[in-house]
Amino acid sequence: MAEKIQFRIRRQDTPYSPAYWQTFQVPFREGLNVVSALMVIRQNPVTADGSKVDPVAWEFNCMEEVCGACTMLINHRPMQACSTLVSSLEQPITLEPLSKFPVIRDLMVDRSRLFADLKRVRAWIEIDGAWDIHQGAPRISPETWQINYLYSRCMSCGSCLEACPQYGQQLAFVGPAALAAVRLMNNHPTGKYQRKQRLHAIMGEGGLSDCGNAQNCVQVCPKEIPLTTAIGELGRQTTKQLLKDLLGSG
Amino acid sequence: MKASINDSHFLFRRLHSLLGLLPVGGFLIFHLWENSQSRFGQAHYNEQVVGWLQQLNYLTLLEIFLIALPLLFHGVYGLVILYSGKSNLSAYPWQGNIRYTLQRLSGIAILLFLLLHVGWTRIWAIWEPAVKADLFAHMQGLLIQPSVFLLYLTGLLISVFHLTNGLWSMAISWGLTTSPQAQSIWLGVCGLLAVLLSAMGVHGMLGFLP
Amino acid sequence: MSRPRKVIVVGGGLGGLWAALRVAEAGFQVEIFSLFEVKRSHSVCAQGGINACFDSKGERDSIWQHIVDTLKGGAYLANQPPVKSMCEDAPGLIQTFERMGVTFSRTAEGLLDLRLFGGVKHRRTLFAGASTGQQLLYGVDQEVRRQESLGRLQKFEWWEFLSLGLNQQGVCQGIIAMNLRTMEIKAFPSDAVILASGGMGQVYGHRSTNSTNSTGAAACRVYQQGAWFANTEFFQFHPTAMLGEDKTRLMSEAARGEGGRIWVPRDTEDQRRPSQIPQRDRFYFLEEWYPSYGNTVPRDLASRAIWEVVHKLGLGVGGEAKVYLDLTHLNPGFIEQRLHAILDIYRKFHGTDPVHEPMEIYPSAHYAMGGLWVDFERDDSTGGIKHGSPRNHATNIPGLYACGECDYGYHGANRLGANSLLSASYSGRVAGESVSNYLKGLQQGHGGSEDPIFRSEITHQRELNQQLINNQGDENPYRLHQELGELMSSQVGVVRDNQTLSGAIESLRTLQQRSRKINLQEHNSWSNQGLAYARQLQEMIRLGEVIAVSALQRDECRGAHYKPEFELKLPENAAPGEPAYETYRSRWKAQNQSWLKTTIARQTTEGPQIDYQPVDLSVLAPEEPRDYR
Repeated sequence: MAEKIQFRIRRQDTPYSPAYWQTFQVPFREGLNVVSALMVIRQNPVTADGSKVDPVAWEFNCMEEVCGACTMLINHRPMQACSTLVSSLEQPITLEPLSKFPVIRDLMVDRSRLFADLKRVRAWIEIDGAWDIHQGAPRISPETWQINYLYSRCMSCGSCLEACPQYGQQLAFVGPAALAAVRLMNNHPTGKYQRKQRLHAIMGEGGLSDCGNAQNCVQVCPKEIPLTTAIGELGRQTTKQLLKDLLGSG
Repeated sequence: MKASINDSHFLFRRLHSLLGLLPVGGFLIFHLWENSQSRFGQAHYNEQVVGWLQQLNYLTLLEIFLIALPLLFHGVYGLVILYSGKSNLSAYPWQGNIRYTLQRLSGIAILLFLLLHVGWTRIWAIWEPAVKADLFAHMQGLLIQPSVFLLYLTGLLISVFHLTNGLWSMAISWGLTTSPQAQSIWLGVCGLLAVLLSAMGVHGMLGFLP
Repeated sequence: MSRPRKVIVVGGGLGGLWAALRVAEAGFQVEIFSLFEVKRSHSVCAQGGINACFDSKGERDSIWQHIVDTLKGGAYLANQPPVKSMCEDAPGLIQTFERMGVTFSRTAEGLLDLRLFGGVKHRRTLFAGASTGQQLLYGVDQEVRRQESLGRLQKFEWWEFLSLGLNQQGVCQGIIAMNLRTMEIKAFPSDAVILASGGMGQVYGHRSTNSTNSTGAAACRVYQQGAWFANTEFFQFHPTAMLGEDKTRLMSEAARGEGGRIWVPRDTEDQRRPSQIPQRDRFYFLEEWYPSYGNTVPRDLASRAIWEVVHKLGLGVGGEAKVYLDLTHLNPGFIEQRLHAILDIYRKFHGTDPVHEPMEIYPSAHYAMGGLWVDFERDDSTGGIKHGSPRNHATNIPGLYACGECDYGYHGANRLGANSLLSASYSGRVAGESVSNYLKGLQQGHGGSEDPIFRSEITHQRELNQQLINNQGDENPYRLHQELGELMSSQVGVVRDNQTLSGAIESLRTLQQRSRKINLQEHNSWSNQGLAYARQLQEMIRLGEVIAVSALQRDECRGAHYKPEFELKLPENAAPGEPAYETYRSRWKAQNQSWLKTTIARQTTEGPQIDYQPVDLSVLAPEEPRDYR
């Protein structure tokens, strides 16, 4: 491993200004991850050719790949900067903001659409209120739990959306993350009471049928969420719903 | 609330998907089987194959409603779908993504191929009765030219790919295959179908050659 | 006033979202302010589980036992009525989470599964794999999103809380906040404010398990406006954190609850790989020292034991400050299912697989038991809190409430594992209900954003920004933060003494001076992260001083606060009833007479001023000393 690691970073001062590239050098140490390297750069923001520049702005929080904040393009792939070890990367290491969201500054993007889409697909269970109802919880088999748990770990990082050819700033598709949330909610013992509403929400423009089955999502998901399985299962649910809508639910 | 009916989007997508298989895909399979009879020779082909078809009851209506209109809808709406995505193959050169991109590219190519194919056969026949009278000889005249043969071969292969890959994708969209295992097995089945259909198609093309 | 009543919640973790949800459900408008998207709040880092007595493992567990374990675990320093109510309401709270769709792990019968945690003898901890906090937060987040879609609630993400708007009577009537993109400073009026800004682990720099945004800055800002801090000297060091240059990552107590064992080689020169070292050459010190609780002693004891093994006995692995947390003897399929999330973290960041090699861990700053002082109203008929009382979770500033880790409520001198998700959720719910009743009793509402109370405050905040931006000093904020972390970890850490603490306070004051000479090295006025960071750093240094001063003044050992000089050692080999033990008990009671009291820190121009308040001991009189042997 080289003693100095080269980082090529795509920078942008504001959402409205042009992007440009700068190269930085960071001393290598064992276990160095991309966030730590960015921390070294922000402490002393000097480029490889020695000019003092503004520190690089990026988003991070938990540092253990559970909050989703530090997702960015590392060597052109969406990854969490905190859990990506420098030693696992080809050099020079290229850092870019996610391309499917508006850039705020440097490596920071505005992922608010992701959360708006969770609203759009009604990814919640309609409880009467957040108070005690003095009743036991519904039983769920361990097998069902195990599958549901896979989906419940989605941290809204946006990696699947970044890799999805059907998802983009000008495109209507909600993307795999929101669809997986529908799958999760629809399979809950009481969440399924609102199954029809959620299915109808994803049966409009930009919904499930905008998926092109390129299946990039499932490959880039850092949490290994079976996104394409969710899409298949929702395919089945919407097929049934379509028949019910067309022919009556009996 | 019947959003799925009130909102035509989903219905159109599913209709597009369904028509791709039935009748369009079905017709392709029939068409390839039908033309594989070229191996029985000129007389058999012109009399038993073309002749039998031409005496079918309501032939024109069948052609319009079972072939032309579904194909037109599938093709035109396919172009609409094309605009709902943007291929990113260079960043993610994975086989699923390659098929996603090829499905779209082949769709456009098939439309162009069909214009030629229909033009050389049905449209040409409007002015030239000989085409209809001896379709075998007409096709032979075309396919004997290496460039046309290559063109037809390409048209055949991309059509078969588009159908079988569409069949794979359709199984997910309609919810037939959900698990990765099921999707992978189905991919194998579709692949096998692609090989068989291609073989049958090539066999048919070779049958026209002297 | 005809304005609809409005509440501002600062912070979108478990506490904040719960509070917001209950206020919205009560029909009041809510605005949530968060430094980032609320779904990324630090609650997601909580791993092991949440305590509630379900007694479904045939162990005759009881709510009373949960109360006793919590109070004793906290060395009796917590006010008892809120703890009693929390433990009583815990099962209902879990069922509410369940209704929200939280994926709690299940038994073969489909029931909520329970695991063992520290400081208790019964399985009482519900969990969702090893990412329980994440699942709980997402559950509430979904419900909050639903309220948002109904128009009852609005989120202001990427806004930083700067200060309160206080009227002439000192009543809180809104906040001043800074947009972290435009850096605009703006007033937001409201009828009440709930602070749910989380922990302050970043005071210990990277030697903390906390997220980088857990700076405690918001709490420190209201402290400077007159709110009291309580018990800040009690800072929990989690015994099992991964070592790391950028962060010490938590390895859940669930690892030990599920059977993980802590050990070191008996010989520091032992060059063998840990898996090659036979049992007889391993020192399972927790099991030897605490045979009845073993590896699941409360965290303060476990951390101290590790500290002793490393620093006093010199038995750290390879002579370094680390010990083994071993899962290799457990069934790989079982731990993969129960602990996948932490195994994954360890594999990704350390590169070895805990299924095959023991993990290397060391204690790390984890949780502030102390925080903003909050009130409660006791219900004499039940011994718990009076539900719905607007006094519950009210700070000493009228109209300002606090909940979650930023308050000091439920854990006394040491928090039991898996009680934090409980207290965060429960306190949020109580605060939300309490504020709703406060609003119902409110005669006059806020005066709108043009209220003159905001004007001078906005000017003041803009000046603070300008000072930092224009500063031509030579101090680097990031390096100062590192220094702060080193200082706090080494001098206000697991083991304390008064001379070092006095030195630390001096050093902190020097740091405070130096932090006025920060050079931001930043010319871009858009999304200026350095500016926000520098301001948070100044607050962290102040917080460090509050912690150190509180620690200096408390001359005893209690829970996480450990000054060997004042230690009352449990008599060896003596059981209750024997003379040696009874002598100890009476000395322990005498110590309680002088020190069983809540530390209150008030901001003065000379620094924190410390007073004490009695602890409400109406539920369980402190008769039994902590003894986990």
